[in-house]
Amino acid sequence: MSILTNGEPGKRYLLMGNEAIARGALEAGVSVCAGYPGTPSSEIIESLSKVAGNRNLYVEWSTNEKVSMEVAAAASFAGLRAMCPMKQNGVNVGSDFLLHLALSGTRGGMVIVPCDDPGALSSINEGESRQFARLLEVPLLEPGDFQEAKGITRWAFELSEELHSMVFVRSVTRLSHASGNVEFGELPQVNPKAGFKHDGFILDEMEGIITSAPVDYKHGLQHAKLKKAVERFENSPFNTYQGPEHPELILVTSSACNFYCREAIGLLDAGDRVGLLKLATTWPLPPKLIEKYLSMTDRFFVVEEVIPFTEENLKILAQEMAPRIGIKTIMGKRDGKLPMVGELNPDIVTQALAGLLGLEYKPQPDDYVQRSREIVTRAPNRELTFCPGCPHRASFWTINNVLKMDNRQGFVCGDIGCYTLSTLPTGFSASKTLHAMGSGTGVASGFGKLKQFGMDQPVLSVCGDSTFFASALPALFNAVHNQSDITMVLLDNSGTAMTGFQTHPGLKTGAMGQEVPAISIEAVCRSIGAKVKISDPFDIESTRNALFELLEENGVNVLILKQICTLSPEKKAKKKFEVRVMAEKCLGESCGCGRLCTRIFRCPGLIWNKDKGKAEINDVICIGCGVCGSICPNAAIEKKEVA
Amino acid sequence: MQVYGSKELVEDVLNKDLCIGCGACVDLCPYFKTYKGKTAMIFPCTVQQGRCHAYCPKTESDLTELSMSLFGKPYDGSPMGHHEKILIARAGDKVHPAPFQAGGAVSALVTFAMKNGMVDAAVLTGRTGLIPYAELVTESESVARFTTSKYMAAPTLSAFNQGVKQGFQKIGVVGTPCQMTALAQMSINPLHTENFKDSVALKIGLFCTWALDTRKLAAYLSSRLDITGIKAMDIPPPPAEILVLDMGGKTIEIPLSEIRPLVPRTCLLCPDMTSEWADVSVGVLEGEPKFNTLIIRTRTGQDLVDKAVAQGFLTIREMPAVNLDHLSAAASNKKKRALAGAMEEGLLNTAENGKRAMMRIEKAVVERILA
Ligand SMILES: Cc1cc2nc3c(=O)[nH]c(=O)nc-3n(C[C@H](O)[C@H](O)[C@H](O)COP(=O)(O)OP(=O)(O)OC[C@H]3O[C@@H](n4cnc5c(N)ncnc54)[C@H](O)[C@@H]3O)c2cc1C
Ligand code: SF4
Ligand code: SF4
Ligand code: SF4
Repeated sequence: MSILTNGEPGKRYLLMGNEAIARGALEAGVSVCAGYPGTPSSEIIESLSKVAGNRNLYVEWSTNEKVSMEVAAAASFAGLRAMCPMKQNGVNVGSDFLLHLALSGTRGGMVIVPCDDPGALSSINEGESRQFARLLEVPLLEPGDFQEAKGITRWAFELSEELHSMVFVRSVTRLSHASGNVEFGELPQVNPKAGFKHDGFILDEMEGIITSAPVDYKHGLQHAKLKKAVERFENSPFNTYQGPEHPELILVTSSACNFYCREAIGLLDAGDRVGLLKLATTWPLPPKLIEKYLSMTDRFFVVEEVIPFTEENLKILAQEMAPRIGIKTIMGKRDGKLPMVGELNPDIVTQALAGLLGLEYKPQPDDYVQRSREIVTRAPNRELTFCPGCPHRASFWTINNVLKMDNRQGFVCGDIGCYTLSTLPTGFSASKTLHAMGSGTGVASGFGKLKQFGMDQPVLSVCGDSTFFASALPALFNAVHNQSDITMVLLDNSGTAMTGFQTHPGLKTGAMGQEVPAISIEAVCRSIGAKVKISDPFDIESTRNALFELLEENGVNVLILKQICTLSPEKKAKKKFEVRVMAEKCLGESCGCGRLCTRIFRCPGLIWNKDKGKAEINDVICIGCGVCGSICPNAAIEKKEVA
Repeated sequence: MQVYGSKELVEDVLNKDLCIGCGACVDLCPYFKTYKGKTAMIFPCTVQQGRCHAYCPKTESDLTELSMSLFGKPYDGSPMGHHEKILIARAGDKVHPAPFQAGGAVSALVTFAMKNGMVDAAVLTGRTGLIPYAELVTESESVARFTTSKYMAAPTLSAFNQGVKQGFQKIGVVGTPCQMTALAQMSINPLHTENFKDSVALKIGLFCTWALDTRKLAAYLSSRLDITGIKAMDIPPPPAEILVLDMGGKTIEIPLSEIRPLVPRTCLLCPDMTSEWADVSVGVLEGEPKFNTLIIRTRTGQDLVDKAVAQGFLTIREMPAVNLDHLSAAASNKKKRALAGAMEEGLLNTAENGKRAMMRIEKAVVERILA
């Protein structure tokens, strides 16, 4: 039983930011939640899926973010409250739909929850979803702590329903994945009945058809909604000010930076010198509220991550208000006080603030810095690597070897998943391009058409099973239809492994654990006319032969490499082989091997015993996949099937 | 001969397009592999002095050192190298008739050497479609599967390396002059390994003016015909100037002028036409397509030929002087062409500031060859 539905109203519980958002949605009586897995957002749907049964929710992992928005919007159109969480670039994926939804309006409360990842801790971009709120012209809310994550989410549904507009609630990694105390409110006793009214007056928002046309009328309506949103924002209890009445300087912040600002003020003991204006309603900014605080002093320091979003919006208002309140100095990213890229942290903010206040601040004492430098040199160098026994290591081993042997400068267009690491040595640096979900096959489709211009390199793309359904399909169709020459290697590990084994259309289980029909990747590929081969990546030889064969074929080829992820709940802790290095056969560093297993293959289960000059298996880490047995040039690695 | 590692092999040979794909560096270790006539390094290796570099016929081949070690005398640059006898030969009655390239002397000698226990395995070169492949055979009956010349660079020596790994100690090898050079370099224990054992028991060298680039030839031919239908190929001695393809029933002739651009540049820098480091060397015979030219170079070679003749596996006769003159002229032309080219490219006797050479030959000998 989950604390999310069992916790008592009025009591406080330690919740992860994402759980707080989920609880907020439950307190708001959410009915439908749809999304696509992506760090740092995934736990919102995961925690709701666990309570779906006893709260009569419908929760799904959709094929991709755009579809999840459409699914959630349908619920809203039918009068239900719906939520749609995603990682930052998920908004880009669905932005075409959102652009139209912003105009068409919504009925039941519809909340979009993008979780941004400043510093790209688990992303390959630092996308900024706040910019989308401005672009789409929809209200944006940013919780500044865990309690607010719950409260603001709950309020967002009411706001959305009042405005007939979707509302953005933006989180960031350090809020979504950190934990804090949250006081629970009541769970409503709701039993909503869904129904879609569509035969009223055509322009009636609640009963007519739902569309963005006529555009000028709907756009006008949207601006009226924004005006109403601003009115609500002027009095929102989620915008707070803490500090003296006449501060030297006001820090303006939102989201996780709220924590850093509070810490900075505390560390510098500057509570009586500076004020902290923490904004939750960051777009559109409420002008009266802003004018009140801009009038309190002359210097402002905006603390926010990624782009100077609030800084710019504040500057626009300050310029407009200048005739009344005078010229203000607004500092932040544009003047270089804070970095334009990467995450902020208490040190960065404290140092910057100290500078502005003329104070000395050293994040660490000198001897600490000295000591840590010494220790760091002794710490083992750890690089990003696939897990022990990861099927991707075996797959990329073969892909690399085949492309090198083929000797025509063939290359891989990479994609998004754990196998993104194949740009690094752990994947033998096989992938040479890397962009959005599904882009590997799209880019490959383009490369595969360049024969006409003399390009004769083999073109491969890789794609995970979840990514296949999410966004590689249109690219694959494109390649087939336009007669591109590519080989797509489908790394099928039976789950959305990177984000924690969420389901996808290729699997038999849905988000709530229910049985659902699985779609066969192989059948889909064959039906569109691609040549398909299937192999187990752990069988190095047959995978190599299959790939060599496909490289000779023109047109679109698909090699499905099927092997369940090592960490999958199904496989965990089951060793297939007992693996051992026979020291007497191990060539080690000498000519004939040169430490292939621990220098190149580098499964963490293999260790190099320097004293003995031999490789060894670390039994604790080895998961017994047995692949190293097939790569050792001297058959020194013995594997015995575990009964 | 100075030995380096895989890094130098890649820099000096693979990257300079000097690799002939002989297979000497292949399958010694996990790093060098052959596929469709091309050798590739799959991962870099950190060993400073490796067998790959030591065996490669295109790195630091010190001909004086080889000659001293194999024949006990310095390399003198004579057109057909050190030899005891030059004869005409063909397979004897004891050999099952098969579609030999010429007289079948090669297949006859290999078969005999296997039967009489002189070798316990033989490294031969076959063909799937057009692509040559190497195989280690252990039954004399298998020799007939490998008759006829594949006029392409072949990774023959990879099968030799596999044979050594499998523990064979008396291996016979049939190969081109570059492959014989590699075997010679293996046999002088270039890395000064303790308890060194030379696993080559017999070197049967083929004559070779040049080979063709496998991939280029495949591309050239497949745009004109079905390459899976090629039964045999032949380049008859001058003045024919054609490549003849036996398509089973009909033959196709392709002028050599069309084919020459497919010769890898490394062949034009190769000084050896008659497999000078072999025990016996075999070529075609001018004017008599069903006979071979046979050169006996070593005691091992002489012994083999004597016994094969005695037991009916080989027949031999004297070589007329006019044939010898032609052979000598052709061999000497190849040497001249190679040395001039190598000199021009700075690959011969390169010494200053630690530069590495492809070939080392004493200065006086170079002058004599080019004279
Ligand atoms: C690339 C090449 C170029 C040649 N150029 C000339 C030349 O210029 N002048 C000349 O007189 N002779 C040349 N020969 C040799 C000639 O073609 C015959 O191989 C030789 O006369 C032996 O004839 P045979 O009837 O005894 O051969 P067979 O008894 O038919 O046996 C042929 C043997 O050659 C081996 N073999 C075939 N192809 C290759 C290859 N690519 N690499 C290594 N081994 C191979 C096989 O393993 C087989 O054992 C060349 C051979 C090759 C492979
Ligand atoms: S690959 Fe094999 S021979 Fe080489 S170090 Fe590892 S166990 Fe030893
Ligand atoms: S040095 Fe030895 S181990 Fe390294 S590539 Fe060469 S043969 Fe292989
Ligand atoms: S040994 Fe043979 S295959 Fe290897 S690099 Fe030298 S010529 Fe090429």
